[in-house]
Amino acid sequence: MAENQTSVGRSFLAGLWDENPVLRLILGMCPTLAVTTSLQAALTMGASVIFVLICSNLVVSAMRNLLKPHLRILMFTLTIAAFVTIADLFLKAYQPEMSAKLGPYIPLIIVNCIIICRAEACASKNGLLVSLADALGMGLGFTGALTVLAVIRELLATGQIVFTFSRSFTLVRLPDVPLFRMAGMAMPVGAFLMLGLMLGLVKLLTTKRT
Amino acid sequence: MMIGATGMQTIIFSALLMIVLGLLFSVMLLAASIKLKVETDPKVEQIHAVLPNVDCGACGFAGCASYAKAVAQDPSLIGRCSPGGAATAAKIAAVLNLQISEGGAPKRPIIHCRACQQDKTYYGEYRGIIGCTSANAQPIVQACAFGCLGFGGCVRRCRFNALHIIDGLAVVDYDKCTGCGACVAGCPRGLIEMVPFTQEPMMVVACSSKENGRMTRAMCSVGCIGCGLCAKQTDVFTVKGNLARVDYARYQPSEAAETARQKCPTKAIVFRGKGAPADEKVSKTAAGAPAAS
Amino acid sequence: MQTLESLLLGFIGIMIVNNLVFTKFLGTCPYLGVSGRIDTAFGMGCAVTFVVTLAGALTWTLDYLVLIPYGLDVMRYVCYILVIAGAVQLVEMYVRKFFPVLYESFGIFLPLITTNCAILGMCLFINLWGIDNLPEAVVLSVGAGLGFTLAICIMAGIRENLELADVPAALRGAPITLITAGLLTLAFMGFAGMIR
Repeated sequence: MAENQTSVGRSFLAGLWDENPVLRLILGMCPTLAVTTSLQAALTMGASVIFVLICSNLVVSAMRNLLKPHLRILMFTLTIAAFVTIADLFLKAYQPEMSAKLGPYIPLIIVNCIIICRAEACASKNGLLVSLADALGMGLGFTGALTVLAVIRELLATGQIVFTFSRSFTLVRLPDVPLFRMAGMAMPVGAFLMLGLMLGLVKLLTTKRT
Repeated sequence: MMIGATGMQTIIFSALLMIVLGLLFSVMLLAASIKLKVETDPKVEQIHAVLPNVDCGACGFAGCASYAKAVAQDPSLIGRCSPGGAATAAKIAAVLNLQISEGGAPKRPIIHCRACQQDKTYYGEYRGIIGCTSANAQPIVQACAFGCLGFGGCVRRCRFNALHIIDGLAVVDYDKCTGCGACVAGCPRGLIEMVPFTQEPMMVVACSSKENGRMTRAMCSVGCIGCGLCAKQTDVFTVKGNLARVDYARYQPSEAAETARQKCPTKAIVFRGKGAPADEKVSKTAAGAPAAS
Repeated sequence: MQTLESLLLGFIGIMIVNNLVFTKFLGTCPYLGVSGRIDTAFGMGCAVTFVVTLAGALTWTLDYLVLIPYGLDVMRYVCYILVIAGAVQLVEMYVRKFFPVLYESFGIFLPLITTNCAILGMCLFINLWGIDNLPEAVVLSVGAGLGFTLAICIMAGIRENLELADVPAALRGAPITLITAGLLTLAFMGFAGMIR
């Protein structure tokens, strides 16, 4: 059905830019600030959020006819908690250093405003396919925003982008000048400042001039 | 992955724990929802139902319930919900419009001035802060102390892009207006009035000048001179203090009202609303001449 | 058993040195949303303090009475959130019915912060740091809540003045608030190392 197609496509694209959760809707800032010290952490968080978003959106969409109004939020939260537990255990098993570095921010995906918001606004009112597209779009948009912020912060703080699995892989190495050795960027100061400037830039790009 | 004895134990205990906790809280919450019930305003409930219910706090209020209560009392707060966006703002406006005025007619803003730049007389050039409040503080910017200044004080308040300054006059785009009333406070001269639109378009006396006819004519070519020709046609119009006004409690489109409108020597009576014809042009009288002392 | 001195140091530590908002990024969403005016900010801070103390005590008890003895670590997140949400819901209904004045001042924030990173985050941190006695858990929770109150009231004071300043159009709203928070974080970094 053509109408279903555009709805699915539109849900997917909306999350990427128009309704990008971090940059436009200004939701889910706690993980954005916390994990963008390195690109690897940001991508791990992004992947976890995509996984949890997809699973929770599908489950909520499947049970949308059973939702009672007052218990809705609690039902969403428990579903999300179950999937976050799965993601956390997976990370603890296969990526222990990354799991230790991200610490409590993986379980904090449970209370990430983005996931609850999408469950409430989209999954509880739409079919499985639209919910899936929406989850993918939002998750990718979130990961994209995190990636940009992480790249900027890591390059400015350490001058290189390093991935650590069993060994370290240095993807990018920039020259050793003070510009690329700003320790403040790796600290909370840098997080707030960079995110603020990024949001300001997005607002500048998206405000139509009257 | 073999589930050993301890694995099975974990599964059973987890299930037991969830059942116990679930039952405990269900019972307590059910009892509480009955015993601790509080009455709420149905309008507020309706607004709450259209909000995204994320309780993110972006609106500046303590969650969706708080915002619903606040916006029900102060409709100019529509548009603060950033996760909900424009769709939610439109839905809130729809809910409120049904209850905002008597008789179910939605309220819309009417600007009691129709003078464009070429209609007005200016004493000098204004070079101050571009804003209606600042310009209003100057004693003589334009000759008429009652008319629209055209610096956009109302435009800035509108969250729906429904107000524009065209030719030095504030104009409402009735296709976009939701009737929230935020613009009223933006006019330091009090030109904007919220009126129930029982039909569309509505007839409006687009002038607020309380000066006598001679002064008004010198200051503006489209101002109401208080001649009373309209009031003689039909009692829908009343003249008080050199200014005619439409009595919206009695207003009905009728031949008499239309005749009155056409008889107006300065064409100060116009239509406002969706489908309104364009204002008639009036040639400027004594262009640029200062008012007689 | 913790000594009074270590409890006090822990309290000050979490309130100022390891402030939840500035160093752990918890509670950023309501922090940005509700910090527009000092009276709402203070109400929010009180609500957070109350909820985090209640949640900290309840989740610690659940942890040490049920989850750890029976080896149910996997259920931790689910049980925490269930207990927090349920308990706060009950308290909110109770306060709304019997203390309407109190409800208007801070009860309205309760649904907002139930499913919020600040509360769950603090409970998880208590678990992560291996706090093994209830008084310390409660003291740390109260300290965290008061630290949040301190942070949000400072921000509200600054934002009230920012309203009158000429902020560039693109930076108005969330961007300038984040930048201000960054500068506040920098200021609070001065407390680092205060407690050994």
